[in-house]
Amino acid sequence: MDRGYLGFAARRVGQALVVVLLAYVVTFVVISVLPGDPVTNTLRNPENGFTEADVARIVAYYGLDQPVLVQLWESLSRFATGDLGVSLRSNLPVSQTIGDVLGSTAVLAAAALAVAVALAVLIAFGTQYLPVRAQGVLRALPSLFLSVPNFVIGLVLIHVFALQLGLFRVIYPDSAWATSFAALALGIPVSAQLAEVLTAGLDHESRQEYASVARSRGLGRTRLLLRHLLRPSSLPVVTVLALTVGELLGGALITETIFGRTGIGSLVESSVTTQDLPVLQAVVSLAAVVFVVVNLVADLVHPLLDPRVRKPPTRPSAEREVLAQEVSTP
Amino acid sequence: MSTDNTSRRTVLTALGAVAAAAPLAACGGAASGSGAGEGAQAGGDVVFLIDSLGDTWIPNNSAISSFQGNVWGHVTDKLVHVDADGQVSPWIAERWEQNADATEFTLHLKSGVTFSDGTALDAEAVVANLDHWARGRPEAGINPIGLFPKTYAAASAADATTVVVEFDAPTLGFIPTLGYHGSILVSPATIALSAEQQADLSQDIGSGPYVVRSWKEGDNVVLARREDYAWGPQALGRTGPATLDSITYKIVKESSLRTATLQSGQADVAYNATPQELASLQEAGLEVAVPRYLGFAHGYRLNASVAPFQDVRVRQAFQHAIDREEILSTVYTPDWQAAQSFLQSNVPEATDHSAEFAFDAALAGRLLDQAGWVPGADGKRAKDGQPLAVTLYPNPYLVTSQAIDELVAQQLGAVGFTVDLQLYDVVTYGERVTGNKTLSNYEVTRSFIDVGTVASILTSANGGEDWFGLGEGDETLNQLRDAVAGAVDLDTRAAAVDQLQQHVLEQGLYVPLEQIVQRIYAQTARLKGVTYNGVAYANYYTAHLDG
Repeated sequence: MDRGYLGFAARRVGQALVVVLLAYVVTFVVISVLPGDPVTNTLRNPENGFTEADVARIVAYYGLDQPVLVQLWESLSRFATGDLGVSLRSNLPVSQTIGDVLGSTAVLAAAALAVAVALAVLIAFGTQYLPVRAQGVLRALPSLFLSVPNFVIGLVLIHVFALQLGLFRVIYPDSAWATSFAALALGIPVSAQLAEVLTAGLDHESRQEYASVARSRGLGRTRLLLRHLLRPSSLPVVTVLALTVGELLGGALITETIFGRTGIGSLVESSVTTQDLPVLQAVVSLAAVVFVVVNLVADLVHPLLDPRVRKPPTRPSAEREVLAQEVSTP
Repeated sequence: MSTDNTSRRTVLTALGAVAAAAPLAACGGAASGSGAGEGAQAGGDVVFLIDSLGDTWIPNNSAISSFQGNVWGHVTDKLVHVDADGQVSPWIAERWEQNADATEFTLHLKSGVTFSDGTALDAEAVVANLDHWARGRPEAGINPIGLFPKTYAAASAADATTVVVEFDAPTLGFIPTLGYHGSILVSPATIALSAEQQADLSQDIGSGPYVVRSWKEGDNVVLARREDYAWGPQALGRTGPATLDSITYKIVKESSLRTATLQSGQADVAYNATPQELASLQEAGLEVAVPRYLGFAHGYRLNASVAPFQDVRVRQAFQHAIDREEILSTVYTPDWQAAQSFLQSNVPEATDHSAEFAFDAALAGRLLDQAGWVPGADGKRAKDGQPLAVTLYPNPYLVTSQAIDELVAQQLGAVGFTVDLQLYDVVTYGERVTGNKTLSNYEVTRSFIDVGTVASILTSANGGEDWFGLGEGDETLNQLRDAVAGAVDLDTRAAAVDQLQQHVLEQGLYVPLEQIVQRIYAQTARLKGVTYNGVAYANYYTAHLDG
């Protein structure tokens, strides 16, 4: 962790900034090429009874009559100073809109991640303990989890636990019980990938010579698993874990809609349907920041899990690819 | 919710039950459930599940929204009350007079009315509201109320309870417009706020029987009773505070989840159920309300400047080829009513003209024969090598529209039309269909509170919408329009509206389908005393929960 490491960190932060900027611009371009804008769409509905002069004055207020490049420049200048603008849909400041819902999604995503990790560990460890025949069922679970859409899981959970058993009330989706079930709905599909990777890792490590030696010296199964096999097996899991953040954010959109939670997911849903550009740009940038930061953290955690990674600081960008291969080496 | 002591056992029971119960629950979800039992306390709390709470809460910008109208109707008052039959009665305005040519109105206000911030709802406040509805502040992002009469000139306070309102031309529609969902009275302090501040519902101050206790954007709005309220509309038979303690509007986007939650007892009202769900809800002991709004009956307006509808005989054939009884019995429940005109029959001026559009496939065939459209081997008609083709655009604002259009396509096909359906989502529909003057037809779903509105939209005069593509080309239509717009008393206007209905239907310019219901309420049988106003919003001011 010296000059090489600092250079690596600086490069990664630079890349992160470029990614966020690109996400912001791409969102702007994509929304701008769509026909219409939310303000004109609403005003031109004849039921609202506005004259063209009325429409023109209101559109001018939002700056939507400006050329696209001017709008992009103004939007970028505001973004650079931390001003996220005002929602075209609700007329509330975007920072306030996001601030109001961020906590709810963070709690849901964290709980779902915990559910996913717990399930993955249970499945992977189960495959190491159970007799071969019983393992089949466990090994099939990840495929099952992946193939059941999370809105189906969500609806089943709501119908059984809220409506039939009365464990939580649909109108209070932020209660502890409701959050737990939403986390379960979101976490189950995410656990599949983690379970697959961890199971494969443990399978691979347990076939290695060092594991056979340890077993022949009389080391207990649990001790072998926890002390020797788990650490090398969890390296690819950390990488996959970082990638599941995207899945959690995407899945939150559906889970929040089903459970009636207000969060980043439901905010994206309403902003997409109403072409609410300022909110969308802010949310996409935020997602890019989260994604980049989480992946950065994953990269920084690798050297802690595997001391060998600390030695060659010369090619840090290739670290993860190298690691994936090195994992097989005892 | 379970307590800590019981929670563990409940979870274990629940986990045990899930394997067996899950598939069953996913399919049905119809068990009567674990009612929360809140209704026992005095007053009661009503939970209303709704699919959206609209967009912005800036009063002028949002009041047209059919979602937010539910909230505004409890938080704010109006100058007059318009009931489900279009009858106008006093509310904040105790009485009013107009001059002989309907260009000046004098409103006499109730005294002692206050907004929930304590300021008086007096003549000055009403003048501020009238100016704000008419003009808005577009430069600050606050719209005028689009449907407010464009003939508005000025308003002034003669004394604390008297307001004089002047117009540039006869405006008989002014008084009913004061009962429209856009015309909500808010505190002058609210009017003075910026767009961003008005968008915060808690800063929008009204004088209604409820105040906003809390709200969360895109999630819920909780209203609490205002204890010192004493100026309810006479027509509702109550003036004092409301009975219900609170009303919670909670967004649940998934339609089946709204009705399943209602059936489980966790909510009292579910908004916008589909007509197909209603029979099973009623069997489960719930009540269904399908109030009609004042406005146009659901139907097509035909564009007489676009093929094949330039020929009146083709329009009339279209009119007579549709079997409306089949539509009602196939798509709807018996709660829906047949159209009698292009106006809903609860509009006071609506008259029965159903003979003009009676189903008669043979007549439709003869009209097309006369117009020179000859059937081919497949029964489809053509003229000069051109097929008799029509494209229908199901209206995304009405859930049953596609099913109806599919049925209509079959019925038209039976007399020789070649019919296509083009489906669009709301945004694309707004872009390609709404206001597109090159399309041969448009499916109308539109409310109004005063029949005078029709005069301002049927032709192109006075910035009108030229609904039938006739411009100023139909002399009879122009005369009737002017007679409606310029009438200075209601009887004269009603006579002109009657002739207008006859002419439009006879000419096949408007093809009614059925009387429209756009707001469907499914609710617990314990909820009593609900009223519905002229735009079909439920009002819980007089409601209570039994038991």
